[in-house]
Amino acid sequence: MKFKTPIKLAWLRFTSCSGCQLMFVNCESSLAALAKIVVLDTFPLVSSASSMNEPVDITLVEGSVSTPSEIERLLSIRRKSRLLVAIGACALTGGVNTLVKGERSMSLAEIYGDQGADWDTFSPQPVHHFVKVDGQIPGCPPERHELLESIGAILQGGWRGHQVMPVCMECRSNENRCLLTEDHAPCLGPVTAAGCNALCPGLGVPCEGCRGEVSESNRDELLNLLIEAGLSEQEIRHRLERFGEAPYGQADR
Amino acid sequence: MARLIVDPLTRVEGHGRVELLLEGDRLHDVKVRLLESPRLFETLVVGRRYDEVPDLICRICAICSAVHKLTSLQALEKAMDVVVPPMAVTLRELLLLGGHIQSHALHLFCLILPDLRDSTDVVDLLRQEDSLAKGGLGLKALGNRIQQVAGGRIIHPINPVFGGVAYSPERSELEALAAELSNWRRDWPDFAKSFLQAGNYPESSRVLGNAVATGQADAFTLTGEHLWHEKTAAVPASDYASLLGERSREDSHAKDAAGEAGPFLTGALARARLAAGRGLPMTISEDNLGIHENNIAQLREIEWALQRAGQLLDLLLGADRAEPLQAQHKAPHAGVGTAAVEAPRGLLVHHYVVDEWGTVVAADIVTPTSINQRVMAAQIMADLADEQNHQRLMAVAERIVRAYDPCISCAVHLVPVAAS
Repeated sequence: MKFKTPIKLAWLRFTSCSGCQLMFVNCESSLAALAKIVVLDTFPLVSSASSMNEPVDITLVEGSVSTPSEIERLLSIRRKSRLLVAIGACALTGGVNTLVKGERSMSLAEIYGDQGADWDTFSPQPVHHFVKVDGQIPGCPPERHELLESIGAILQGGWRGHQVMPVCMECRSNENRCLLTEDHAPCLGPVTAAGCNALCPGLGVPCEGCRGEVSESNRDELLNLLIEAGLSEQEIRHRLERFGEAPYGQADR
Repeated sequence: MARLIVDPLTRVEGHGRVELLLEGDRLHDVKVRLLESPRLFETLVVGRRYDEVPDLICRICAICSAVHKLTSLQALEKAMDVVVPPMAVTLRELLLLGGHIQSHALHLFCLILPDLRDSTDVVDLLRQEDSLAKGGLGLKALGNRIQQVAGGRIIHPINPVFGGVAYSPERSELEALAAELSNWRRDWPDFAKSFLQAGNYPESSRVLGNAVATGQADAFTLTGEHLWHEKTAAVPASDYASLLGERSREDSHAKDAAGEAGPFLTGALARARLAAGRGLPMTISEDNLGIHENNIAQLREIEWALQRAGQLLDLLLGADRAEPLQAQHKAPHAGVGTAAVEAPRGLLVHHYVVDEWGTVVAADIVTPTSINQRVMAAQIMADLADEQNHQRLMAVAERIVRAYDPCISCAVHLVPVAAS
């Protein structure tokens, strides 16, 4: 697909923390260069520009979908976008929003009182449950370079591809100490898609799996190692489900 | 009755809208609607272990992720009587300041500056090679580098852990930050100038709301054991519920900060007013800018944060690297803990009840934007009571909301409608 610069970029956000779009503004030193090739259109956090029904070239969608009005907004932006890219754990797998257990209306009533019980909302869903997704950028939040590479690759008529290595491989090549086998810490590096340059384990903090499950991961072996590390079954489940339960691995699409 | 709707509010965090109801040509009523989807964090953390909760709770909001994580750690550590060693306290405060600088720079240079330049966004300003936009982004990058060094990540930091911090940053990184901070302290006054011109802001009546903030009696800080308030004596942070008047679950038809001492104003301007009341040096402008003075208060705080971060770096660079980073005793036991910290946009309270195994059994979180939402609608009503031009009504109403620097994602306690 060919694009003429400057391209029109929209950003739609659903149930999320705004971290993915904050990462866009966090590309401080690259924004001046981006300004030459990108025009913002419908990106409420950053811009008041909106041409309403005019088509846009790329829409980034952040957050999981949890209300009927979010579905309507998603469908309408899909219709006017040439490419739609889902970004971040919430959009890809549901993210931490999926951790609310049990009957949703009970939780709503508990926090918001009677008026909460009438809220029209359902369990948070990934974006690909509702519309065709042309590309995915994993992470909670994704790294800045991934966002910039994605926009750059699209401008060249391609896609940056998806990660087939686990975080462990990045630890190996950086010669990090193995937190899982040497320290018996609950590190999810073996089953998590790479791309962050093993940021957390490199600083001695166990991987929490925010980038989703890598394809062909050896989950059984990880479970054994986590049990050896002294974690209970419940603790392991809590740790593995943090960024959305299965499908988990949609990052490979 | 005619109705003007600003939807979505732009250049604010989160999804919200303002409804202006007119009677004849005059503004009759204002509704500020916060339209975030429910995220249910207070039930989501129930049943989770104490050391997992801070990692989850920071996902309430990215802009405030550091302060959410630190406030939840503090509350949980209090609940289990864990004493954090001084090195970790210093590193955590440095992280808090990094988040503060990042957030204020984002608000002033990316969200407010386009209004001063009659532009749509900061990317447009960069296209026009606006030097203030470029410089402001440099300051924002500094805030993020502080968060990176002290927190390990610029969003959802990983270094703060239950009982302390996971690691101490490399000496070379601390030295580089110290040098950068000293350059910014030198250059900062030039950057601040443009925001100080009264002509840049719409006319505004006096600021409504009674200021509330945490802090210490004898120094300007973002943390403290008390809540300061203009109309009542300071109360312990653990009494937040009775001061703010958050309704309990039994009678919760409308859960907001409805306490008798309100409506409340929280944020940089509230902090400055309360600090002045305690005789602390935190001056704001002489002009009456109304609620837009919050921008000036944020400018002053950046200046303060640049100083304070420098002091903390001196402490860290002078410290013995063998000093402990984590508490000695951190075995879980049953307890209740409350912590109050000033987020960039105002008072943030986390409150937890944990059982004997350290599992969270109840959580309550009060965010700045839920505290401010009543006064936002009232301020629009007061400032625009005589305005008859529809376009100006909508534009200025949006600028008033923007001046509070709201964070709608954070407002997990929101009431869907706040009317004046």
